[in-house]
Amino acid sequence: MIYLAWYLAVGVVVLAVIFIAHRLSKKDESQSLSDLLDAVNPERKTLQYRILNNIVAPVVAAVLVVAVWPVAIVMKAKEIFSKKTDTATEEEKKFAVAQGDLLEQLAITEIEQRELVVDPMNAVPDLPFGHLHPAWAKFLEDVGPEGAIWSFSANWTTTWGRKELRAGYVVVRGDSIGPHFLTLWKTLDGI
Amino acid sequence: MTAQIAETLHYEGQRLSMCTEPLGDYFALGGLNPGFESNCTALWRGYVGTWEIVGGRLYLIELHGTLEGGGEACMKTVFPDFPERVFAHWYSGTIRIPQGKQLEYVHMGYASTYERDLFLDIEKGAVKSTRVQQNGTAESADAPEGYGVGAMTIFPPREKDREDAP
Repeated sequence: MIYLAWYLAVGVVVLAVIFIAHRLSKKDESQSLSDLLDAVNPERKTLQYRILNNIVAPVVAAVLVVAVWPVAIVMKAKEIFSKKTDTATEEEKKFAVAQGDLLEQLAITEIEQRELVVDPMNAVPDLPFGHLHPAWAKFLEDVGPEGAIWSFSANWTTTWGRKELRAGYVVVRGDSIGPHFLTLWKTLDGI
Repeated sequence: MTAQIAETLHYEGQRLSMCTEPLGDYFALGGLNPGFESNCTALWRGYVGTWEIVGGRLYLIELHGTLEGGGEACMKTVFPDFPERVFAHWYSGTIRIPQGKQLEYVHMGYASTYERDLFLDIEKGAVKSTRVQQNGTAESADAPEGYGVGAMTIFPPREKDREDAP
């Protein structure tokens, strides 16, 4: 009997630790997330759902933790470990031009000639890249004396699986690829 | 994410709702972004643009938005030298224009479905092709006609100020 008392006492301590850790790490549900969840599951707003979610479920979980606390410890450890892994993988991949994406080396004058934008309603500046000319001018500041400009076209898949076509110009210095200037950013698999 | 307020497109004498945001591409390609602020969950981008197709070309002709700090944004804010009309030469992609009765309302982005979708394929601001996709027929005659947003939360300025405060 004394072993059972000790077992349950440890269970209560584990419950207290898990409860405090949960309170410290818990973030309030954002409005946008709440909107999304409400849209997916309209029952979230009902009294029955709230009682189940806010009272019944926590009480059942607490009883289970005290009763089978070794399992709770393993589950909490797994949760903490998986959170760290998720954070590492959820970050969006940063787009970078690869050697295989390079098309041809071009002189600045050649690029500016081919990228002039003409509009019959004169709704665009008479400059290379039209309304994007200030961005192009800023890009040129980073070319430097050692840099050459290449055109590129890259098929890119985002972290979320969306397939895109990105094209433009990029600075190449020897074997290294520097900053790029995008002229096209198009989703390939519909909208 | 709440269903989003659409852009407006004047096309072949009609005023249509456009579920595509070409100005977002402009900012993504490095165009001047003054920094918009969202003041409701149905307009996370913080602005609404009015577009027009003339001579097979896509133009921005009106812009209304809220800047970070509360100021109003207009065409001049983003295109100081072109306050009346801007040729969207930067845009290549497909513009979606939902038409007909609503088949299913989805309270997220532009995910609601309608009886038809008119697609305009654009290359460097010029319309290359158009196509209509039939998605079905609304079961109810009372189904809402045309694109709409079901609900939204407006952020009160006082609440926003509190959130911005350090």
